[in-house]
Formats: sequence, structure tokens, C-alpha cells
Amino acid sequence: MKKSLIVLLLLVLTMTMSACEDSYDKIPLILYNEIDPYILEFKGHILNEAEGKLEIESYDSQNSQLLQNEIIENVLEKNPRILIINPVDRLGAYSIIDKVKQQDIPIIFINREPLEADMDSWNKLYYIGAPAENSAAIQSEMIIDLFGDPEDLSDLDINGDGIIQLVIFKGEQGHQDAEIRTEVVIKELEDYGYRLEILAIEVCDWQRIIAYNKMNQLLTSLESEIELVISNNDAMAIGAIDAMIENDLFIDINEDGVITPGTDTWIPVVGIDGIEDAFEYIENGYLYGTVINDSKTMSEVLIELAEALINGTNLDDLSFEIIDGKYIWIDYQKYEKEED
Amino acid sequence: MRSLLKNSSIRQSILYPTIFIVMISLLIVSITTFFSYQQTTTEIVEDSSKEINKQIILNFDNYIESVINTANYIQQKTIEHGLKHDNDALFDIYTQAAEVQPDIESIVLIDITGNEVISSSYKSINTEDLTKKTWYSNAMSDDSIYHFSSPHQQDIFANSTAEVITVTKMVDYYINNTKFRGIIVVDINFSNIITLAGTTNLGEGGHIVILDEYDSLIYSNDEECNSNECITLEIAKDIIFGGKVVEVEGISMYANVNTLADTRWRMATFINIEIINQSRNNNLLILGIIIITTLTITMVASSYTSRRISLPINKLKDHMQEIEQGDFYKKIEIDGQKEVVVLTHSFNSMIEEIRSLMNTIVKEQKEKRKTEFLALQSQINPHFLYNTLDSIVYLSENKMNEKVIEMVIALSKFFRISISRGKNIILLKEEIEHARNYLLIQQIRYNDKFDFVFDIDEDVIDYKVVKLSLQPIIENAIYHGINTEYDSGNIAIRAYKNEKKLILEVEDDGYGIPDEKIEEIYHNIKFESKGKSVGLRNVFQRLKLYYGDEADFVIESELDERTIIRLVIPLERAK
Repeated sequence: MKKSLIVLLLLVLTMTMSACEDSYDKIPLILYNEIDPYILEFKGHILNEAEGKLEIESYDSQNSQLLQNEIIENVLEKNPRILIINPVDRLGAYSIIDKVKQQDIPIIFINREPLEADMDSWNKLYYIGAPAENSAAIQSEMIIDLFGDPEDLSDLDINGDGIIQLVIFKGEQGHQDAEIRTEVVIKELEDYGYRLEILAIEVCDWQRIIAYNKMNQLLTSLESEIELVISNNDAMAIGAIDAMIENDLFIDINEDGVITPGTDTWIPVVGIDGIEDAFEYIENGYLYGTVINDSKTMSEVLIELAEALINGTNLDDLSFEIIDGKYIWIDYQKYEKEED
Repeated sequence: MRSLLKNSSIRQSILYPTIFIVMISLLIVSITTFFSYQQTTTEIVEDSSKEINKQIILNFDNYIESVINTANYIQQKTIEHGLKHDNDALFDIYTQAAEVQPDIESIVLIDITGNEVISSSYKSINTEDLTKKTWYSNAMSDDSIYHFSSPHQQDIFANSTAEVITVTKMVDYYINNTKFRGIIVVDINFSNIITLAGTTNLGEGGHIVILDEYDSLIYSNDEECNSNECITLEIAKDIIFGGKVVEVEGISMYANVNTLADTRWRMATFINIEIINQSRNNNLLILGIIIITTLTITMVASSYTSRRISLPINKLKDHMQEIEQGDFYKKIEIDGQKEVVVLTHSFNSMIEEIRSLMNTIVKEQKEKRKTEFLALQSQINPHFLYNTLDSIVYLSENKMNEKVIEMVIALSKFFRISISRGKNIILLKEEIEHARNYLLIQQIRYNDKFDFVFDIDEDVIDYKVVKLSLQPIIENAIYHGINTEYDSGNIAIRAYKNEKKLILEVEDDGYGIPDEKIEEIYHNIKFESKGKSVGLRNVFQRLKLYYGDEADFVIESELDERTIIRLVIPLERAK
């Protein structure tokens, strides 16, 4: 009787112990907020790309650093081999790095770039993203196509004063993309020789609904003056367009279901990101153009890097270049409606 | 366990396993309950601690956000009005913004060289080189974020004593359509942070610690934590972020560290969770009481039950032992379990059966003895009668009529007692009379060659004796004890009481018997059925048949002095 009891105890013990020893093969993907359509799309690309290669377990931080910290704390208990993190608050990323460093787990940051000082604090940190300046530069190229010679602006200079009156929809204050996109697009246009009058810079936290509300307010006070709408992302651009549609600024002269550009009330709107909705808006002529944040290519790079880190392959042999041993830059792509 | 119970009583075999089983199950239940309860309590307390931490963090986040919103608003308005060439209105906006949020001491926009552009305050700006200030260099180091300074005395104005946190960010502003870079400087009154920290009850010893990205102390509301050498600061450093149970100066605390949004700061909350220890102690106490109470009740109950079961069996056992020692006349009555009652009943009938069998045997034995007894008794007389009759014939021929008469009377008495209407047991006085008649006859026959005396205690003459127990012994004394040549025949017959026995003695002063001869006689009377010592054996056998071991037959002799034959028989009084 006693013997069988001891055997039973041993059995239970070994079972629990072997359960503990189970290595954790899933790769945690911790996103900042799945309500963000761009993030949702990014996630879709990552999961597609990972299929058959890696098992990704995705977590939604619901735009709360507190929640993200909690997720990371729990995930670290499973001792994963690598972490993919899209930080909620790039300022707080240093604490994530310090914490994860203790367990010697490499981190690939995506979408939001931690401060450079934090990225320099350890040699197993990677950031995959697009250079923010690049998106704004491409955005300014599209605007240059529209307005033409700075000395002789196109008809889009509605009041004909030789100055472009514009509003800017800015992403989250403090988000480096928002700051850089705003700054660079202005700088590029000015450098090209345009004289700009910035009627407003509206901070809309990347969100469609906020942009919609802000645009409605702007249209009541500034409707006749606005000649160009620049948005830091597509969601806010679409929000602004929704408000413009409500104010009948878009006219379909030939009634083919597609907006006719160049009417008296037509104001070009340019975005960045290339989300699904944006393509539809572009097809229908509402959104003039966008800059694709190439999340598909990023996902490919991400999975390749993750596999290399897990398998310990030489990072020099990868299909992309790693700048300073940390940064992988994926360029933006211009996306406009094709000429019929 | 099995070996332990091998030689134990019924009571022990019930008591020990019961207590063992109850104890084991109690322990298992108690231990699992205790641990699951303890785990739940710990989880609840930890969860609530986490929630409290989150709440405090959110309060701070909200506060910081409101400051940043104000700064964003100011920044936006600065650009907006700058773009509209309406910078004069900005002073009002700055002032109002500072007034709406009372904890904002001042909002100042300075240019890249450290000169005032717009200020919410009338106070004159510090004439020192502001570009040397830490907050200035912070702002310059990264233009994309807001920088929060450590608490310090306000230094943007010349004469200010307020303790502030300076929030700075590099911004653009426009004057006459020309873009400039400047730094927006928002000073927040530090006392508000203290107020925020004080509003939550973290329990005794509970407090918060705010530290920056270099793990330097920004603020703690624990009085003992005002330098960089502080225990809780060290704990917060170690945790980086997340929750953990820690011990601070002997108090259990749940330490929770989280980043504060939009800053490079982290905040640690230390929440008193002594309640877990208290609940553990309470649980242990309650479980202890339950275990002791249950064990006591079990012991008492199983002890009572086992006693109830074992008591009747023990009674039966004791009774059996009595019977083993020969007491067959006790009946047992036992109340108790059905099985035991049935067992008792069967046992009683068994004893009954044994008893009746024994009685039959005793009866049969008695009958047998009686037959033997009578046979032995009837062996006594014939020779004596012939001899006596010969003597009478001899006396008559010699005309000794007196003697004849005497002899015939004695003979007549002798035979009357001998016959005694068929009784085997007679009174001692009758037996004495019988012996006297016998001696008278023999005296005449042997021409007064011997003499005799009776020494009989008066208080024993009414006791019962086996008939004809003296005569054969006296006969033995006359034939073997009297030395007729020396004319020395003296025979004494004694009867007296000794303790609970009746003693009859026949003594002669003849040759005496050597010890080897005595042994031979003993052997003959006990084991031989024929041959020598017929008379003595006859007496011995009858005594044994009638009285059993209670009777004794003793021969004592001194050569040429005397021989005593003593009969020891139980006292039996006539009814």
C-alpha cells in the first residue's frame, strides 16, 4: 500500500516537472492597439508570413502601457526565445528593454521606434520600420505633382495668391512619426520653393473620428481658404474626407460613381500608410493619394529576422541590410489613382 | 500497521485505524483547503494591489496627460496664431491656460538662445543663461518628446521659491511667416504630485516611489526614502516593472512598478499586504481547532463504540476463564450486540450440557463406589465370628459362665452396630461402642493379655464417621502390635477435633514398625488389591471412596515404643 502511494506521488511529481520543462515555442507578438486598422493589417501580414515557419501568439495592449507591461511580465514567465513588441509608449520602452535583458531574450520592435539611447543600451535589440522622413518626402512629391511650379502654381491655388493654404492632420503628439512627417513634409515643400500658409495643424492621435470632428470644425471657419489637406496617416485623411463629403465638397460631374478632380470645391487630400479603406477612397477619387507603409515587406523581413535569431544564423547572410546592427528600414511606396 | 494490530485487542483494532484514517483525511482536507484558500487570498490581495497600482498610475497618467494636453494646446495655438500673424493674442492664451490649471506655475516660450518669447507670468525672467539649465539641454537632446525634470526650485524666473517640475519640449513657432525653433517650458507645482500620491490608502507603511530612467529617485512619499539609498528604491530598480511580494522592514508589501505614460519615469507602489499573513494565521488557528476538536470527538466516539463492542466479549472471555478453573455453576447474562448475545446463549447451553454430563459421571462414580464400599465392608466379619464362637465354646467347656455371658452380650452389641440397619455412616459414639465391644471380646479371648483405654473428646462423639473404620485398625494393633510374651499390651483409642478435621487415633506400645515397612504398608493399602494389610487397606479404601482427598491415613511409629495409626476425616455432624 505504501509503495504504491510513493509510486503515485513520484508519477505526479515527474508529470508536473516535465510540464514545466516544456519549452515555449510560440513567438509573442505584442501589439499596441488592434483598433488601429494599420496595426490590424500589419498583424494579418505577419501571421500570413509566419505560417508554416513560426507560431505567433499575438497580444493586444489596447493602447495601454500598463496592460502591455502586464502582458510582457506574463509572457516572460514562459521564457520565449524572442519577443516582437510594438510599444504603446516609446518613452517607456527602456524599462521593457531592461526587463527583457535580464532573461537574455532578443527583442524586435516594430511600428514605434524606441529612443535611440534605449536602442543603444543592448546589442540584441532590433527595429523594423520605415524611415519617417521617407514617407513625408514621398508625400511631398505627390503634392509637387499637383501644384507644379512654385512660381506658377496650378489651378489648385484657388485664390491665386501664389501661396498654398493648407491644413495638417497630425498623429499623436510626441509620436516620432507624427512629428517627423509633419516637419519633413513642410520642409520638403518649402525647400522646393513653395510658399505655404499653414492654416491649422490638428493633432488627432491617428484617429479617423477625431479627424472627422476637427475637419467639420475647420470647414465651418476656413472652408473657402483650404487648398490642401495633408494627413500623417490614412485614417485621419479618411476622417477628414468624411467631413468634406458631408459638406458636399466632392462632386461627381459625369455621374460615373467616381469623383471628378479639379472642380471648384475639390481639395486634394494626401495620406500615409495605405490601409484597405484608403485604396477604396482613392479608387473613388476622394483621396488623392497615399504613401504605403509597406507592412507586407516588413512582415517578410520580420519573420526572416525572427527565424534567424531563433536558429542563430549569421545576420549578415539575410536578404536585407541591418543598419548599425539594429535598424532595418523598409521604404514607403507611393500610391495614387492610375490615370484612365 | 498490520503488524502493529497483530496482537492488539478488539478495542485497539477499532480505535487505532479509526483515528489513523480520520487524521489522514483531516490532514489532507485541511492542507488542501488551507493552500487553496491561501492561494485565493493571495491572488485576490495581489490583484487588488495591482488594481490600486494601476489606479494610481492612471491618476498620474491623467495628470501628466492633462499637462501635456495643455502644452500641446499651447504649442498648437502658438503655431496657429503665429501663422495668422496674431502673436499678441498668445499672451492671453498662455495666461489663461496657466490659470485654468492652477498647478501650472508658468508657461513660457523661450527662443533657442534662452530669451523669453511669450510668458504667462508678469514675473521677470531669470537673467542667468537659461541654456545652461538641465531642462534646456534635455529639450535640445530630443525634439520629439516632452522632457520632465526632477523636482527643483523654479529657476526660469529671477525670484521664485516654488518647487516645480519643469516640462520642456522643442517646438516651432512663426513670426511673420518665418519659422523659428524654440522651447516651451511648463513649470508644474510639485505639491500637486504630492497631493496625488497622498490620496490613496496603501495601508500602514505603504508608499509610492517615482524614479527616472537612470533609476534615480524623483519622489517618494515615504519620509525615510529621500535619497538614492533607500530600500524600496532598490526594490523598484530590481523589479524594473511588474509586481512582486517583498518584505520591507518586516512588513509584507506588494511592490508594483509601472512606467508613467509620456515620461521616462516609473512609479512603484508599495502596498501593505499583511492581511495575507493575518488570514493565514487565522486559517491555521481555525484549522488547528477543527483538527483537534474532530480528533477528540473521533477518539471519544470510537473509544465508546469499541468499548461497547469489546465489553460483552471481554465479559464472556472472563467467564470462560472462570470455567477453565472449574466453576461450572455460573450462568452468564450479557447485554450487547446480537452476535455476542447469541454467542453467550450458545455458550450457556454448552456449559449446561457439560454440567449434566458431569453430573451423570459423578452419579455413576458414586454408584460404583457404593458397590465397592459394600463389598469391602462385607469382607470384615467372618473370621472374627468363627474365632469368637470358638472362644465361647472353649469358655463354656471350662464352665466359665460369667465370661460366656459377657462375651455373648458383647458379640450381640458388636453385631448390632455392625449391621446398623444397613447404614454405612454412623455416629462416632456408635463406632466407639463397636470398638469397645470388639476389644472386650478380644480381651476375653486373649486372657487379658492386653489392656485398652478410650480417650474420646465429648464434643466429637456426635460427628459422623464411616462405619467399621476403627475395628480393623484395632485388630491390626492386637495382632501385630501386642507383644504377649512381655505382657505389655496397651492400646489407646483417641478421638478429637483438630481445626476442621476429626482425628481418630489407635496407639499401641508394641514392637513398632520400621520406616521401610511403613512405606511398604502405604504402598500396599494404596495400590494392591490383594495380599497383606487387608484390614488397613479396607479402611483406607473406604475412607477414600467416601471422603476423597479430604481424608488422610497416617502411620507413625517408634521402634519398641509405639505405633500410631491416625485417621483424618472431615467433620460431618449428624442432622
